[in-house]
Amino acid sequence: MSSQTLQAKSRRNPLVTLIILAVVLVVMVLVPQVFSGYITYVAVLAMLFAVLAGSYDILTGYTGPLTFCHGAFYGIGAYTSALLTLKAGFPFWVAFPVSGAAVFLFGALIGYPALRLRGHYFAVTTFFFAHFVYLVILNSVGLTSGPLGLGGIKPPEGFLGINFAGLKASYYLVFIYGVIVIVALWLFIRSGVGKLLVTIRENEELSEAIGVNTSFYKVLAFSIGAGVAGLTGSLFAHFFRLLHPTTFAWMTSEMVVIMSLVGGLGTLIGPIIGAGIVTLILELMRFAPELRLIIWSVALIAILIIEPRGLMGLVQRIRGGRK
Amino acid sequence: MLLQQILNGIVVGASYALIALGLNLIWSITDIADFSQGGTYVFAAYAAYFMVTLVKMPFVAALLVGMVVGGVLSYLFERFLYRRWTGLSRIQLLCAIALFFLMANLAIRFWTAKPKIFPAYLKGSLKFAGVMLSYQRIVVVAVAAVLFVIVYWFIQKTKMGKAIRAASQDREAAAVVGINIHTVNSVVFVIGGILSSTAAVLISPLYSVFPAMGDLPLLKSLVVVILGGFGSVAGVLVGGFGLGLVEALGGVYISSAYQHGFAFIVLILVLLFFPKGLFGKV
Repeated sequence: MSSQTLQAKSRRNPLVTLIILAVVLVVMVLVPQVFSGYITYVAVLAMLFAVLAGSYDILTGYTGPLTFCHGAFYGIGAYTSALLTLKAGFPFWVAFPVSGAAVFLFGALIGYPALRLRGHYFAVTTFFFAHFVYLVILNSVGLTSGPLGLGGIKPPEGFLGINFAGLKASYYLVFIYGVIVIVALWLFIRSGVGKLLVTIRENEELSEAIGVNTSFYKVLAFSIGAGVAGLTGSLFAHFFRLLHPTTFAWMTSEMVVIMSLVGGLGTLIGPIIGAGIVTLILELMRFAPELRLIIWSVALIAILIIEPRGLMGLVQRIRGGRK
Repeated sequence: MLLQQILNGIVVGASYALIALGLNLIWSITDIADFSQGGTYVFAAYAAYFMVTLVKMPFVAALLVGMVVGGVLSYLFERFLYRRWTGLSRIQLLCAIALFFLMANLAIRFWTAKPKIFPAYLKGSLKFAGVMLSYQRIVVVAVAAVLFVIVYWFIQKTKMGKAIRAASQDREAAAVVGINIHTVNSVVFVIGGILSSTAAVLISPLYSVFPAMGDLPLLKSLVVVILGGFGSVAGVLVGGFGLGLVEALGGVYISSAYQHGFAFIVLILVLLFFPKGLFGKV
């Protein structure tokens, strides 16, 4: 039953959900119009992390295996896209899908051998993989400039008179990207394949027994999550226009895990809300950077003790739902 | 040159094997990949460092203090955290990782990220056949060998060791015949804590003491456990020394920049062909 403990099952009134969703969307649209540049910037970061956490949920939340390398795929996507535009002269609009596809394939390449491992073997391997990617980015100085960081990345090329060098335009680009991806992930989860993934999570042996090719679907879920992380990384690269290896050190992967747990794994909306909350608090704590990780580590342990299903689990408990 | 690298590899491998032995015990009995040992490692090293520099203790006493710190921390984590979630191994793993980050970051907070030089406790080195091996490195291998023998003896010959072996085969059945699983868990965690803190204190004078010092030894020792296979002492030895040698030789003959990445490549290659590790019983 251990796989179920981290997942919250939600039963909401669809009308209330729709109203909340509409309000959130309107607020998000208004952010760059109402608030200062700094807040808009934080909101972009939160949206990128929301997509990351949402895509993380496909494998870890819906299919089961815990991974600790989502930040690595994010980093590979960012560097792939930046290098394609800088060194190969690709326009952003080509480099963006190409880096997503590349990271998708890369995810399959890593996922195929690694997902044959059960339980913690797989988790530890992904943890090490994240560190390995960081080492490669840091040490491939000729390609990535290593610890100096990779600068000079261009913003996405404008069209129809929109110039993505500006903060507002790129905010809306990230916003539209986020909405499209999250709707796509939601549709994917509700599709037949999505239901199969949940079946695998609930009972892998049984799924195999009824003829489901579980390893194929696990690798697929892993690769889809990786591909979305890659796309998000590409957007990140062309929004901030400066990449540094430490942005993709294992702490980023860990933050994605924490965000997902804060919100509630296996709910899609939970990790997205979690990403927003965590990004916001991280920014508020910018004055004490060395305290941030201490507080988040303690918070993570507290979440595990109080409600491992995160906020969504808490909401459900308050409503008196099934425990 | 080659012989020198082989010797260096053996020293590093001995420290990996030492940590991996504890991790393997914990993992095979409680099903926890105990990342918190990476934090225990750091705290033990700092404890010994302050004992030597501030209290002016002799090294052996500082080593014992480090071992006690490691054992106690490990015991507390098992008793008050992991035990809450018996059977929920996902939550235990997340908690272990949180503890690992918590301790590494507390170390930065308390003692800053600046590396501290651990004073040498034994000067001089052994020279033969054109190679040099400092006495401190020999001590690492010697102590590791002694601890391996002690742990092996403990598991094979004592009553508690028998209980541990029983629990590693079947927890429920062991509990049914009257073995106190909680005590077994506590004992393996204390052993694990002592082993990793010993490795930390012995390695500190060779490099230095800093908050991130536990990261790579932890990751590599986890790899050693996976490589060697569950519940296999031989696997720990082969995996530990094998990895130490691959890193030492690869670092010189292939690329020093990627020295710490070899473990991952070895891991992926071995897992492709031996998904249960080299000596896996399960």
